[in-house]
Amino acid sequence: MTKKKSQAANEDQTIETNKKSVSPALKPQKEKPVVAKQVKSSKEEEDLLLDSDSGADSDYDGDSLSGSLNSDDFDSDIFDSEDDASQRETEGGDGEASEDELHGHEGSDDDEVDSENGEEEDGSDDEGSEEREVAEESDSSEDEVAPRNTVGDVPLEWYKDEKHIGYDITGKKITKKEKQDKLDSFLATMDDSKNWRKIYDEYNDEEVELTKEESKLIRRMLKGEAPHADFDPYAPYVDWFKWDDAIHPLSSAPEPKRRFIPSKWEAKKVVKYVRAIRKGLIKFDKPEEEPNVYLLWGDDSTSDQKSKHLTYIPPPKLKLPGSVTYLFICFSSRIPFSEVFNLYNLAFPGHEESYNPSLEYIPTEEEIAAYELMFEEDRPKFIPKRFTSLRSIPAYENALKELFARCLDLYLCPRVRKKRINIDPESLKPKLPSRKDLRPYPNSCYLEYKGHTGAVTSLSPDCSGQWIASGSADGSVRIWEVETGRCLKVWQFKEPVKCVAWNPLPDFPILAVAMGQDLVILNTELGTDEEQQKIEELLRLGSLPELDESAAAIVSWHQDETFGGIKIRHFKNVSFVDWHPRGDYLSAVMSAGETRGVVIHQLSVHKTQRLPIKMRGLPVCTLFHPHHRGMFIIATKKNVRVFNLQKKELPIKKLETGLREISSMAIHPGGDNLIVGSKEGKMCWFDMDLSSKPYKTLKNHPKDITNVAFHRSYPLFASCSEDSTAYVFHGKVYSDLNENPLIVPLEILRGHSTSSSNRGVLDCKFHPRQPWLFTAGADSVIKLYCH
Amino acid sequence: MDGQGEDASKVIHVKFVTKLDSPFKAPVTSVVIPSNVTRLGLSSIVNSLLTLEKHEAFDFLIDGELIRMSLEQFLLAKGISAERTLEIEYIRAVAPRKEEKPSLHDDWVSAVDGSSPRFVLTGCYDGLGRIWSSPGSCTHILEGHTGAISSIAFANSEGAEGVTVATASKDRTLRLFKVGTDESGDSTARVGAYKILRGHKASVTTVAAQKYGSKVCSGSWDCTINLWDTNESTSELSVPGKKRKGNNQAEESQLEGEADTTLIGHTQCVSSVVWPELDVIYSCSWDHSVRRWDVETGKDTLNLFSGKALNTVDVGGEGSALVAAGGSDPILRVWDPRKPGTSAPVFQFASHSSWISACKWHKSSWFHLLSASYDGKIMLWDLRTAWPLSIIDTHKDKVLCADWWKGDSVVSGGADSNLRVSTGISI
Repeated sequence: MTKKKSQAANEDQTIETNKKSVSPALKPQKEKPVVAKQVKSSKEEEDLLLDSDSGADSDYDGDSLSGSLNSDDFDSDIFDSEDDASQRETEGGDGEASEDELHGHEGSDDDEVDSENGEEEDGSDDEGSEEREVAEESDSSEDEVAPRNTVGDVPLEWYKDEKHIGYDITGKKITKKEKQDKLDSFLATMDDSKNWRKIYDEYNDEEVELTKEESKLIRRMLKGEAPHADFDPYAPYVDWFKWDDAIHPLSSAPEPKRRFIPSKWEAKKVVKYVRAIRKGLIKFDKPEEEPNVYLLWGDDSTSDQKSKHLTYIPPPKLKLPGSVTYLFICFSSRIPFSEVFNLYNLAFPGHEESYNPSLEYIPTEEEIAAYELMFEEDRPKFIPKRFTSLRSIPAYENALKELFARCLDLYLCPRVRKKRINIDPESLKPKLPSRKDLRPYPNSCYLEYKGHTGAVTSLSPDCSGQWIASGSADGSVRIWEVETGRCLKVWQFKEPVKCVAWNPLPDFPILAVAMGQDLVILNTELGTDEEQQKIEELLRLGSLPELDESAAAIVSWHQDETFGGIKIRHFKNVSFVDWHPRGDYLSAVMSAGETRGVVIHQLSVHKTQRLPIKMRGLPVCTLFHPHHRGMFIIATKKNVRVFNLQKKELPIKKLETGLREISSMAIHPGGDNLIVGSKEGKMCWFDMDLSSKPYKTLKNHPKDITNVAFHRSYPLFASCSEDSTAYVFHGKVYSDLNENPLIVPLEILRGHSTSSSNRGVLDCKFHPRQPWLFTAGADSVIKLYCH
Repeated sequence: MDGQGEDASKVIHVKFVTKLDSPFKAPVTSVVIPSNVTRLGLSSIVNSLLTLEKHEAFDFLIDGELIRMSLEQFLLAKGISAERTLEIEYIRAVAPRKEEKPSLHDDWVSAVDGSSPRFVLTGCYDGLGRIWSSPGSCTHILEGHTGAISSIAFANSEGAEGVTVATASKDRTLRLFKVGTDESGDSTARVGAYKILRGHKASVTTVAAQKYGSKVCSGSWDCTINLWDTNESTSELSVPGKKRKGNNQAEESQLEGEADTTLIGHTQCVSSVVWPELDVIYSCSWDHSVRRWDVETGKDTLNLFSGKALNTVDVGGEGSALVAAGGSDPILRVWDPRKPGTSAPVFQFASHSSWISACKWHKSSWFHLLSASYDGKIMLWDLRTAWPLSIIDTHKDKVLCADWWKGDSVVSGGADSNLRVSTGISI
């Protein structure tokens, strides 16, 4: 629609052009403004067409305004432009004609323009319409702009090596156009008649074809004129505020006379200044003198020294400045006495400090003698003396001393600022997680298993957690139902039971019991019938295989008639029994040195092996590694050694506990961490991959630790002690090797009788599946602590 | 009760209402009472209003909550205004009024079932199940187990000529017994099982029977729940109870049964199962979970996590939907599985001092349940108050099992080898 209208307007215009072109050279001097007007009018008209009812002309940009300023119809431009349109079009027609002339003029300047102009001159009638269309397009194209670069005012070589030239307004990359071959581009330029108008826009990476207007604009700028054709630098001056013929002037009073005569007062003033300068009373540009003396010993902590140095250290303060120092200060800084005294906040000297004080101030001989006897610090600092005249006053006797001391002070003062950090001791504590977050852990006792008559020495829960076996000093071994606390079975032996151990296999419910010199394998009869058969077969000693000579000297296998198990008799008292996790081997510890202290029995073939390793010291307890088949850990009284039984060599590892006497040991189910309890109440946590030194040593118990235990699945471990307590710890081992185990003490479990004759808690074991802890007390009670 | 002058400022107008029947119906009049009376005082006021010849204990409800402190404190705590006339509902206090003579067993009483009003079943650690028609009179002994009985239940208590009893034992088997009900006389009949259910690999801990069905389910230490058929598979081996009675050594005539279905999902010992509906089983386990199983599909449809090893579970209460469970701590927890989005217990009762060994909902009341604990106490609970209604502490040792009987009695067995019956509980 707009097009149609504009075309219609064009037709009008062309007609008019034809009319007017008769006299093209009538107003040659008016060329420029007319052209500008023409452009403006075409633009304006278009605007009117686009939004004819908005009256948007009022906020039209500067060129229209500047254009309209010099035009006479300023008002009509804004308010009734539609009416004026035709009128201006006639002017535009004028412009059209003269414009062609202009082209003709400029053609001589520019070759390229020349050829172009030739064409243009042919169809000068169409030119106008085409030009309008171009203008129209360029305007409307602003609404549907191609992706415009938003990189802003950055050097474009930053994008030289990139595939994109920047980003559009939505943040997407604007990719570069492919570079044409030079030859191709040259040919293209040769072919294209409008090539001379084309400009490569580096910023947006596109070729821009300049419109005629734009090329004119550039030309004008090259000439050094104002870029807009409608700007008139020599516009006639319009005196907007002329008031000569106004009806109401601002003031009708006549100008006073004083406005027209020179001021007398000013003249007087000037004469005065001139005289003063002649006399030298006023001096100009006197350089400010820097004082060449300064307060050497003054407190300059407030001075600008601070700001000059980053780490300014003030000199040490004067301690007790002697009077000489004051004098020094007074003389050196040319400051009156009184000011120095004020500066140092001192009292003025009294009569007694005069060189010739009255007699009553002078101490007597006795007083002086008394002063001599006084302690030096109590002696008065100043003893008045009398001199007949100022001349007879001697030099200050301490002058040198004090100066030297001061110099020493300055010389020896620290050159480094000491930094004292205020550390809250609480913040130095390791940040441990709260106990609440580490639940569940055993904390309260709900069940007690009563029945033993002597101290319960050993505990062993079965792997399902349904039963627990206990051995006691009264010679009995009992099996309890965990759930109800009912005693299910009792075996009575003659000797106190040292250790019980439940076979770790779930389908093999047998017990190993150590008492005296015997190790007894008991059938608990808790398995199913088939299991029971297997166990009975296993526990029936047929023809015993020949033992090695070395082993035969230590152990002998017997059938236990009373309880239908196996009795393995050792040459010394057995103190500790441990099963291999596969349930076939079990190790027994005797209190004997070297190779005889530990033997390993194999139940399936009824054989016994001695360890092929020589040990120093008596073994205390042993452990089979939970994963490694051949790994075997032996604790002697001082050290812990890890062996590989298949290689039969020297120990793989030796852990230095630093403990006096090891009492017990437990291994983390992961197999890399070991805790060792000692008889001095210390517990060491070893990270065996980390080092042979303890990762952490916990000193909790005041008395001997009797046993330590790890939980099979929960991150818990515990220690029990002769002080009748058991400690529960959180001990989390991370699968990340870089992370150290987290050890947090959780709970102190009390409850067992603490009478001095008792030996406290003798054993502790975790329930295999629940976070519960069994403790065996010397008070013949077994307690179960639940979460 | 006589109003002193100084108490005159602290009086409350109350009106006693009740749903009880005629002898306990008080005239509906407004009464002025001092505000500092407790439950006892209120009870005596109501008694004086009723003019009963025998003193009766009452419990009082305001806005559906039982009063467990002085009236003044209660009103203050609940923010109820004392200006208007207060309506107090009273019910008969839930407490045993009579203690029956204990029935001594040879060993710990590990299981009790009072779901039939005619009998009480007890299971004992000596491997025998017993049927008691009344406290002190044992009519039948169910024998055959080689291990302690851990659970006992009526598989069919409605039979015309006899009832079927299922027992679970630590010898890894379940046995089914048929018992005639028309037995009379003083002699105690010994009954052998007509069917042995083998299949569990470890001690069976619990048994529950399908209501109006012919199946039982059992939980065991092997982490499974097995479903069994109680039917005598073929007719030729079915022997009436009377004939079998004299022939209890005839082991060869016993049937052996195998599990129909095994529900696998628990990771530790299944400690208790209940079968409240035709195809829904609730179970609790030491793996800290309560699960609901769909019998048809064999899948668990609900999994409540409690954080503690659980010993006992029961379903009842409002709409028979609340799940009560207790275990390895002194807190009895009640869940409402219908509540969306949360698995936190809706009620927690924590007056016991040791593990809870049994909990049972009252069959007809929505609010009442009992719990037995290893601290030797049985507590009766009402959902409307956090304090126990009454505590039965007649047992000398751990209470291992307890159940409601006849709707107004509590039967319980414990480690003191006694079955104790507390009667006269009015609900």
